[in-house]
Formats: sequence, C-alpha cells, structure tokens
Amino acid sequence: MHRQDSPMKVSTNQAGILLALVVAVCAGCGTTPPASFRANLVEATKQRLTPDQERQVATILLAMFGTPDDPVALPETGLDEAKLKLCAGPVRSDIVGRKNGLYREHCAHCHGISGDGMGPTAAFLNPYPRDYRPGVFKFKSTERADKPTHGDLVRILHNGIPGTSMPSFALLSAVQVEALVEYVKYLSIRGETELALVRQYFELDDDAQGKLPETREFLVDEVLTPIAERWNGAADARIAVPEMPADIDMMASIAKGRELFYGDKANCVKCHGVTALGDGQANDYDDWNKAIVEWRKEVGGDKDSDWVSKANRVLAGDALRPRTIPPRNLRHGIYRGGRRPLDLYYRIHAGINGAPMPAAKGTVDPQDIWHIVNYIRSLPYEFDGELGVDRPMVAKDRF
Amino acid sequence: MSPSLIRRVALVVCLCAAPAARADEWASIKGKFVFGGSVPAAADLKADKDVEVCGKHKLVNEELVVGADKGIANVVVFVRDKGVKVNPELAAAAAKAKVELDNASCRFEPHVVFVQTGQEFVIKNSDTVGHNSNVSTVKNPPSNSLVPAGGSAALKFSSEEAIPAQVTCNIHPWMKAWVLVRPNPYAAVSKADGSFEIKGVPAGDIELQFWHEKAGYLAEMTIGGKAEKVSKGRMKLTVPAAGKDMGDIVLDAAIFKK
Repeated sequence: MHRQDSPMKVSTNQAGILLALVVAVCAGCGTTPPASFRANLVEATKQRLTPDQERQVATILLAMFGTPDDPVALPETGLDEAKLKLCAGPVRSDIVGRKNGLYREHCAHCHGISGDGMGPTAAFLNPYPRDYRPGVFKFKSTERADKPTHGDLVRILHNGIPGTSMPSFALLSAVQVEALVEYVKYLSIRGETELALVRQYFELDDDAQGKLPETREFLVDEVLTPIAERWNGAADARIAVPEMPADIDMMASIAKGRELFYGDKANCVKCHGVTALGDGQANDYDDWNKAIVEWRKEVGGDKDSDWVSKANRVLAGDALRPRTIPPRNLRHGIYRGGRRPLDLYYRIHAGINGAPMPAAKGTVDPQDIWHIVNYIRSLPYEFDGELGVDRPMVAKDRF
Repeated sequence: MSPSLIRRVALVVCLCAAPAARADEWASIKGKFVFGGSVPAAADLKADKDVEVCGKHKLVNEELVVGADKGIANVVVFVRDKGVKVNPELAAAAAKAKVELDNASCRFEPHVVFVQTGQEFVIKNSDTVGHNSNVSTVKNPPSNSLVPAGGSAALKFSSEEAIPAQVTCNIHPWMKAWVLVRPNPYAAVSKADGSFEIKGVPAGDIELQFWHEKAGYLAEMTIGGKAEKVSKGRMKLTVPAAGKDMGDIVLDAAIFKK
C-alpha cells in the first residue's frame, strides 16, 4: 500500500500521515469504513455531562463492548461472542461461504447500528422501531419489569409483530435467529450499561472531580453484573399460568369476561373504550416517547444558555418526534404480542412494560384473567348492536 | 518506646475515637422553605375522565404549592452521606411502619411521599373509581398496578433512588405524585407551611441534599439573608448536639420555571 522507499524510522507525525494514507487507500478500494456506536446524547445532555465525561463514557464502553465491527463480550455478560461475531460487521461471506453481518443485513436499517431504534427508516414507521438501549421489551412471558426470555425474543423474530413494521424472519436458519437474539441482548446490555454510567456522574462525590472510577469493582461488579444478571435470570421470572379449565362453559366465561372488562376492578374500558375500539384514552405516551416529551418541557422552561442550544440540537438530531400510543383496538383481532390465549393472558397479568397498560396481577384472580381473555377473543366476532352502545362503524367518524 | 511516640500514638487513638463517641448524640435538623417573590396562582386541572366522580372535586396543579404565609410545601430534604450512622430506635420504628400513598378525590395524597428501602409501601384507593399507579423507578424495577376502588397494591423497594420517582395514573392523566426512596430514616418533605424536620441525625458533619419537583436539585437558596450557591442541591453542614435550626430558607421564584 505505502511506498516501498518509505524510511524505516518514522516520526509519530509521519506515522499518522501514513496511517491516514493507508485508510484512505483502503476506502478507495471499496472497503467499508469502520462503524461506530452512536452515543446516547439525549441522556448525556439531560444529565449535563461535560465533553470530557462524554469521552470517558465512550472510552469505557469501547473497552467493555468493542465496536459494531468487532464486538466484545465480557464473561460476566453471559453472551456468546461467536454468535455476536456472526451478526457484527458489514454484510459479507466468510471463507466457508457463511453469511456474516446479519444485524446490518436484517435489522440495522430500522433499529440502527447502535440499537437505538433510529435507523434510516425509523422516522417513517409507526410505531417506531424499538430502542433496545433501556433494555425494556413489551411482548414476553415474564413478569412486568423482568427481561424477556431467550425464547420470547426468538418467537418475536419468528412471528414478527403483527400490526407493526416488524416482519417475520422465519426464513432465516435457526442458527441465524439464535445469533441475532444474542446480538439484540448485547445491544441492550450495552445500552443499559451506557445509561447507568451516564446517570452515575450525578452521584459522584466532589472529590471524584467529575470522573467515574475506572476500576473492575465499579465497572464490572457494580454496573455490568446487575444488568447481566437480570437478563440471565429471565427464565426464572416467567409468569406461572394456571391452565384454563378444560370443561369451561365458553359462553358463560365470555359473559363473565365482559362484566370484568366494563367493571371497576379490571377497568379495561377506561383505555380500550366502551366500544373496545381502543378509543378510550388517546393522549398517553409510552416510556420511550414520554422521556422525550418530558425532557422537551424541561429544556423549553430553562433559561437560554449553551446547554439549551445543545439540548435543542440533540432533540432535533438524536430523538424522533414523540408520538402518543393508542390503546389496542380489540375488534381487529390483531395482537402484537401474539394471538394465542396464553399471550393475551401474559399481557393482562403483567401489563405491558414500557407502555401505559397496567398489570392485573394481584387485583384480578387468575380464573378471571382467563374470562377476560375469552371475552377479548370474542370481540372481533361480536355482531353489531350486541354491545347495546352506539359505536361508529366508519373509521372517519371515530376521530 | 520514647515518651513522644507514646504521646503521638495516644493522640491518634483519641482522634479516631472522637467521632464515634459523639455519634451517640442524636440531633434534629429543621428549617422552613419560603417563596421569594409574588406567589403564582395554582392552575385548575380539568378532570375529563370519570367526570361524574372526579369532576366533583376542585383539582389544582400541585407542582408548586405555596401557602398563605409563602411557605413552600413538598420540598424534599435528605441526608446524602452513604454510611451515615442510623439511630437504632428510628430504624426499629421504620421497620414496623407502613407507608401509604392514597388515590383520594382523583389526586394522590400525599403529593410527595418518603419511603425507606425495605419498608412496606402501600398504594391504596379511597375513591369510588378504579385507578392504576405507574411507578417510574430507575434503580428499582418499575411497576404499574391496577388499584381498584377500595383496593390496594403493596410494593417494596430494595435500592435507593438518586432522584424521586414519578407516580402517575394512566386512567386519569392529570394525577401525579413523587416517591422518594432512601436507605435510612433521614429525609423529610416540607409541610403545607414550608417547615421540615429531620429527627435523630447523628451530631457532627453531614451533607444534605435538597430537591423540588419544579426546581429540580436546588442550585441556589438564601439562608439568613445570605445567598448560597449550591451544586446539585448538596450542602455540607455541622449539626451540633443541640440540633440545627436553619431558619427561613428563601427560594427565589425564578428557580421554579420548569
């Protein structure tokens, strides 16, 4: 690449120029420039990090997680680095013809290289693609605040999410799906670690001089391990579901479910609406959007300063325009988290993490949850007029 | 051993033992938050859900509550020191006590509630309509339980939170409260007249932290006529065994702008 007659001894300056030349030549040959993770500037700006602090977070994350081309998985994460390597980097085939760069081939255009849900297509999709960085997932078999199990994520990749832009990846091999699930976990754990680090600056004592300790005790034992443990313990947090009685009288169960739907205990009607068209509560946000809505308010109220102009820049460039979250229209028969009765049971029992849907656990008995499930499943087939309420049948009249 | 060395060793022993001996003296910290400026009127909130029940109550925006004598309610004060020595009597009382947050008259009561880690925290509902309580904790797993009329949901927090966590009701979007989670009994929320008291604090050097919903961590305050700039709401002070009365703490109207 570089000239044959270049001197053996070069100054650092010359070496830098040579390196730049090599990189430039490589780029010219069609090699993809190295990819890098995008910093969580929303949180960093919210926490008023200095440029030095932003650099410290980037340096720590690089050491702990590597780059999108060359991921690192510390043993504490429990992640399989070989699977990550299959997903990382640009799309290419390896020496035995095996496809590499799976994440960039199938996921990154929506979910972003960093898993921030801000790939190039994101702004055009409704709902927006999931931002993995807070480590919050909606459709799963575990208790509300717990992580999804490995199987939960595999199921999402297999089935896609009906009613959204998330397609099914059933055509990929089992090995590829496994690898992608591992990579999604990697991006989540990395994102959660970044959030934890950024938020830690606020709690530093004065004598720390605004620098996080770069020790194993702090970075691995205190920050990373608790995050990874919650992922690796997900299987223990699965919701125990009592079986629906085999001899259940379905018509009676549906009637009981209807009573609960409108009743004051389960209170489904408040958000899903008297018509169950999802028109009860229309102005709420999910946690991802709410974070932006609230921060916008905070920035708007602050005195004009460098921080405010930076915050406005970040809001414009590193966040999507907030959108409200409509409660599900239960008469479509389209269920994002799966349409099995079991899936609906999970949704009602635990609520939906990150969304306004509350948990019925502890308030509504398991048998009653099954009645609600049966009623919900009957809704798309209910004949007009049976509800005894006026419900507009044409979409334009509903809004 | 030379006599001087013995003296030095004795001195070191004395110095080490001194704080421990004093730590059994428990004192209280008190003060009163006063609004500096003309008091803005609290805006009315519109109850557009469950109007037949919630519409009956006069609901106002409680982000900033200033009393008739300019006392500021709902300012949070807590002892920041991690390893602070805890009065055993207070610890025993806290372990038995139950902290309640009520959904009453389509608002939360109280607006800011203090609960210790490990303590039983009960969210109840005295209304005739159903609520849900969405607790947005960061270090503890967030929760969102249905709380039916007359019912309740019990929670427990295992970690402290760096800032108070918001509690909202998704059914009634105007409802908002805050829960302060600390690992010890040393925290207080100012009352309607702006006064607060933290009891049973070990006498000696201590660091306090101040927070308010609309001002965030307080950056400036005027104590005894003297303007104090504070960073991240933190203030170091020495608490004498007889207790510390901070007097009137004036918070300028300009800081409540969020």
